[in-house]
Amino acid sequence: MSADMSSGIKRRDFLKVVGVGGAGAALTGCSTESAEKLLPYVVPPEDITPGVATWYTSTCGDCTAGCGIWVRTREGRAVKVEGNPNHPVSEGALCQRGHASLQHLYSPDRFTGPMQRVNGELQPISWDEAEVLLAQQIQGAAGNVLFIGGSMGPTMADLVDQFLASVGGSRVEWDGLAEAPLREATRIAFGSDVVPHYDFESADFIVSFGADFIETWISPVAYQRGFARATGVDAEGNKGEFVYVGPRLNLTGQNADEWVPIPAGGEAAIALGMASVIAGRNGNAGPYAQILQAYSPEAAAEATGLEAATIRELADRFQNSPSLAVGPGVAGQHRNATAANLAIHILNSVAGNVGTRVRLVENAQSAASRPYGEVEAAIRSMASGGVGVVMVHGTNPAHGLPPAAGFDEAFAGVPFKVSFASEPDETAAMADLILPDRHFLEAWGDASPRPGVYSLQQPAMEAVPHFDSKQTGDVLLSVAARAGSPVGPATTYDHLRNRWQALHQSVGAAEDFDAWWRGALKEGVVNVPVPATEEPAALRQPDAALIFDQPAFDGDGEFVLMVYPSSRFGDGRHANSAWMQELPDPVSKIAWHGWVEIHPAAAERLGVEKGDVVSVTSPHGSVDLPVFTYPGIRDDTVAIQMGMGRENSGRYANGNGVNAMTLLPAEAEQPSGGLVHLATRVSVVPTGDVYRLATIEGSDDQSKRGIAPAAYIGSLGQSEEEGYAEEGGYEKKPLEEMQMLGGFGAVQVDGKAKDWPLPGTDRGDYADPETPRWAMAIDLDKCTGCSACIVACQSENNVAFVGEDQLRMGRDLAWIRLERYYETVDASHAGTLDVRHLPMLCQHCNNAPCEPVCPVVAAYHTPDGLNGQVYNRCVGTRYCANNCPYKVRVYNWYSYADVPEPLNWQYNPDVTIRNTGIMEKCSFCVQRIREVQNKAVVEGRAIADGEVVPACQQSCPAEAIVFGNIRDTSSRVAELVENERTYRVLDKLINTQPAVHYLKKVTFHEAEDGTH
Amino acid sequence: MATATDANLTEAQRRGALAHPDVELHEEVNRDILKMLSAPGKGWWFLFFLAASGVALMFGSWGWQIYRGIGVSGLSSPVGWGAYITTFVFWVGIAHSGTLISAILFLFRAPWRQSIYRMAEAMTVFGVMTAGLFPLIHVGRVWHAYWLIPYPNARYLWPNFRSPLVWDVFAVTTYFTVSSVFFYLGMIPDMAAARDKATGFRRKLYRFISMGWRGTDRQWHHFGKAYLFLAALATPLVLSVHSVVSWDFAMSIVPGWHATVFAPYFVAGAIFSGVAMVITLAVPIRKVFGLEAYLTTKHFDAMAKLVMLTSMIVFYAYLTEFFMAWYSGEPPEKQMFWNRLFGHYWWATWIMLLCNGLVPMMLWFKRVRHSIPALFAITIFINIGMWFERFVIIVTSLSHEFAPFAWGVYRPSLTEMGIVIGSFGWFSFWFLLFIRLLPPVAIAELKEVIPPQMRRKSGGHDGHDAVPATAPAGD
Repeated sequence: MSADMSSGIKRRDFLKVVGVGGAGAALTGCSTESAEKLLPYVVPPEDITPGVATWYTSTCGDCTAGCGIWVRTREGRAVKVEGNPNHPVSEGALCQRGHASLQHLYSPDRFTGPMQRVNGELQPISWDEAEVLLAQQIQGAAGNVLFIGGSMGPTMADLVDQFLASVGGSRVEWDGLAEAPLREATRIAFGSDVVPHYDFESADFIVSFGADFIETWISPVAYQRGFARATGVDAEGNKGEFVYVGPRLNLTGQNADEWVPIPAGGEAAIALGMASVIAGRNGNAGPYAQILQAYSPEAAAEATGLEAATIRELADRFQNSPSLAVGPGVAGQHRNATAANLAIHILNSVAGNVGTRVRLVENAQSAASRPYGEVEAAIRSMASGGVGVVMVHGTNPAHGLPPAAGFDEAFAGVPFKVSFASEPDETAAMADLILPDRHFLEAWGDASPRPGVYSLQQPAMEAVPHFDSKQTGDVLLSVAARAGSPVGPATTYDHLRNRWQALHQSVGAAEDFDAWWRGALKEGVVNVPVPATEEPAALRQPDAALIFDQPAFDGDGEFVLMVYPSSRFGDGRHANSAWMQELPDPVSKIAWHGWVEIHPAAAERLGVEKGDVVSVTSPHGSVDLPVFTYPGIRDDTVAIQMGMGRENSGRYANGNGVNAMTLLPAEAEQPSGGLVHLATRVSVVPTGDVYRLATIEGSDDQSKRGIAPAAYIGSLGQSEEEGYAEEGGYEKKPLEEMQMLGGFGAVQVDGKAKDWPLPGTDRGDYADPETPRWAMAIDLDKCTGCSACIVACQSENNVAFVGEDQLRMGRDLAWIRLERYYETVDASHAGTLDVRHLPMLCQHCNNAPCEPVCPVVAAYHTPDGLNGQVYNRCVGTRYCANNCPYKVRVYNWYSYADVPEPLNWQYNPDVTIRNTGIMEKCSFCVQRIREVQNKAVVEGRAIADGEVVPACQQSCPAEAIVFGNIRDTSSRVAELVENERTYRVLDKLINTQPAVHYLKKVTFHEAEDGTH
Repeated sequence: MATATDANLTEAQRRGALAHPDVELHEEVNRDILKMLSAPGKGWWFLFFLAASGVALMFGSWGWQIYRGIGVSGLSSPVGWGAYITTFVFWVGIAHSGTLISAILFLFRAPWRQSIYRMAEAMTVFGVMTAGLFPLIHVGRVWHAYWLIPYPNARYLWPNFRSPLVWDVFAVTTYFTVSSVFFYLGMIPDMAAARDKATGFRRKLYRFISMGWRGTDRQWHHFGKAYLFLAALATPLVLSVHSVVSWDFAMSIVPGWHATVFAPYFVAGAIFSGVAMVITLAVPIRKVFGLEAYLTTKHFDAMAKLVMLTSMIVFYAYLTEFFMAWYSGEPPEKQMFWNRLFGHYWWATWIMLLCNGLVPMMLWFKRVRHSIPALFAITIFINIGMWFERFVIIVTSLSHEFAPFAWGVYRPSLTEMGIVIGSFGWFSFWFLLFIRLLPPVAIAELKEVIPPQMRRKSGGHDGHDAVPATAPAGD
């Protein structure tokens, strides 16, 4: 690869080269002790131009999915995280939590350095002193060292194990999103002790028994992409179908074509019922044939209250297309969860999906999915005084475990407690010594997210200088040496390289190690080809007693309690991030505070409404939460999100919501040992208080406006002249008549490529036919509502957060508002909810209502079709926002951008920071457009289609967003706007002629749009 | 004592005699009116203190808002305009009746205007002064508000002449200029009268501001001409200013704003609220200063009829809006008006309908029109109702626009309420100063309509009366 940056190379290649080159340059530029770790790319520092971004590949460390990332740095500061397009897991996309990792990197709450607790108070201490102290304590503990870890990469895990082997100790892992029952079920079914890898993309019929694979389940970015590819309608009108079976629609369920609302814990019966139908035909049940006979569809119907015919019909569809069943996920970990997972494995197996869409291979989630039982044993050991030194790294059991587990008491009793937390958490609050770890964007590591994918994690920047942190691996190595039992290499980096030398040999690379290593760092990943399918594993005779029936629930409350992982906080680890707190939950659209989801009918029974505070009481605890009435939950079930109720975290997490784990028993499911989450009944009692919800939701009803209409799949391909006008409820006619009568106002056009130049765009700068007209197409059939685009936009465009009180007033600044409307499916379906998601952003109208009303021309139209907003010129009359029918203009009521140091380090230097009194809105990432245009000019070439990628499109895991020049008839966006599903929101009513085109969601039922 | 049938009297004098049966001497006019300018009593000081506190509250709150950011108001998305713009329109409306009474009624030679027009004009000027603050209070960056004014600059940056807000700048500043000049001009002879009575510093002050008025024929001639021209100039402004203000709304596409009826609807509403406010102010002044002879039930009766007429026009406009919303068949339009009546702000809408539509209907009864306390009470209702009318138009429309997911509500904050309430103090501050420093009733014009024979009868004429009792009004 040439390092010549002036030749005509592709943008991405350019960025790669600059990125890797910049790594050396930027870091050598600053004299630091880590200079020797830098990539030995021989690019003189002079080549780094201030103002030019430098990109580094790395691996996201925020969950176990191991998505490859690219970190954009400017002048040595990481400013944005994006998916690495060359990485097979992320393929360029990233989830909202990944984007928000920057908020943890620059968190103002991070520990400023190593601390020792003296008389209950934390005192700063030097690293030397701290390491000596720890070494002494370890020597004194005489081998009774306990290391409680979270999910970590293979190198780190190996390093910890070597350390513990050397000093004498043991390791347990606690991950709140562990899939222990799934792993155990896989072992029982097939003999592979792994969490399988699923291939959604090749499935045509997907059944989720509760797995939230769009939010948190195993590898949400990759799964969401596969899911969107499978279920998004293609050019031929084919569309994969998705059925969701479970008591509560999570975001994943909201994207289902059909909801089968079964009682909690009923998924095993349904899965076995379906499997028995299929096995009855093909006899694939193996050792489970007898069990399947007992679980006929009729039996399943009886157990779950469904019609047997529904189950048979599901089974037919499951058998007759390439299918995939997944579930039930963490929220569905009840007392028979292993059996439920096994039932789903059986279903996949009899339908022949194992080996193709269900791959029994080692992946990162497998390692993380240790049973809670191990933690339970460790707690007993701590409580009995068997532990001299306990070290906690990358996990927070004091918050994540139910109080009944007794972790706090046991932990407090250990003589010497060490926390490697980088930010404060509940466990660190009890620790005697705090040795702050580096954030993953400052540290070395690796990940092995799936077979054949070896992903490297390299520091994207110098450690943030406000915090005297040290990578835990380095600390352990140093402490081991000080304790007199040294472990191999001196640093994590050396350890990593050593391990990768083995990989280098095993892949048989032609280059020498250093060259190969540099290449790996540049790419961020080493891909070893693995076969696309494997020999389908046969079902084995079960070696454990399993009960497939409904699990038992504690207590006798009216409702079953679901405690589900948060798509924003996971199990709580991402809570201290203002971006995540401010991101409206994709289901409830509530930000910052907690809530309990209750079906409207149940709320009526209780006499409560949205916002009324209720007391939710289980046999294990009680919490008070405001009600969110949600038609996507059964009326015998209530649900509370995990990850809230932080008490000793940072300023953004503390005090928001309640910790749902306090309602749960500390019980390990048998035989997997996983912690049960769906285990108790609760009573719900109104307290009489009212809490004004901090929500962005105005109305969940489209109110006959056809904002997010849908197309019936059967109607596709039948040429309809004005199908949309019908559904939108508006006819074009009156306006046309007015125009014929001499006309006023802009001529109504569809804004397709052939319509250019639009009337009125034929003067001055606007007349140049070569000027591009930027436009966007958003396929609502693919959009899942995951909200990653919102955070990507926030990160790219310096969109400030405003806090709970401001958001409650409606002052949130997000440039994208993910609207969520409910529609009703006809009563032939059990679950009658049809959820529509629509990302609403500035529509860049060609006939924009905001532009003429601005008294100072701060809102104006650029020749290339952007609805520009000149921040410096804005006086703040807010007339434009009033006149915007889409309500996408947001206003700086205060100087929201004044954030505590060093959070401001995240700001993108290419985008203006907005001060108080200024209107702002989506700019179509104009800075990215101009960057590409400038580069094209310098290189004397035209811009290729797809070269300009706004942050939302870049991040979208579902690939729902396409951006481009609509005047270029060969562009993808010009092609998409010709699609029969394409419409523009409100355009037929008010002739705004938006540049954002939406493609209707496709439904398998005749759509009820609420437009009639 | 003159009678209305005296053959020597002009038509105006005959009517004037009917309107002011208890005023006999021109000296009485001078004495009674100029008496108001003498040293204030405790009541005035108390009111002035209240008003000054209001001014302090207003500017304190505004200062806080500028310091902290516009966020201290309760405004938010989607309701970006709220109490400030409501109050702006309210005061512009109040400012209307002054010019109506002084200019239009002057041109139509309505005989009952003389006693009240000075107060109405003062109300206009102070109303515009109050209203004019609100766009400044309302913008997020008041330090850049001057960008709305077209001034030459090196960067060729001009305001957007397509924006109704820029029209507003022109409309309000023009109106303020013309009404101030009109107000001042009409007062010159009266200030000369005051000068003649005053001593010390006040005399110097009145001498200065009466611009050497001696009451010569030539001066009267010019005065009459100028007054007529200004009246003719101000008359279209009465219609144009509030039309332009209404276009702030009508030119947008917001359901509930985008209606062609807005200009006449707003003008009628402005006259309605303005005349009501004149009554509200005139009642206590009449009582306190003992002006019963000058502000008679005839005046109040005439104003009450105007209030009743405009009330019906306004109510008709309300009905038109609801009808058009239903007739349009557009869901956003229909639902917005349904929301207006039965949604989150139903109470505001019903206050508006009751105060502006129902309560003024009591004025059909002569007994009500002739009862000063009843009129006072009714006009207070109207003032409240008209404030809520603007609130309803602005807030209910914005809160319930095209995008259902973005619907929201607005609650005014304490700062906002402080500024709104303080604006009444600011208005009263000027008005209280006015009634103490400038003749609040037009002395000269009043004398024009008081039959002149008293001069012969009394013999008390000391020759210092600067105003010729028979001065021609316009020729």
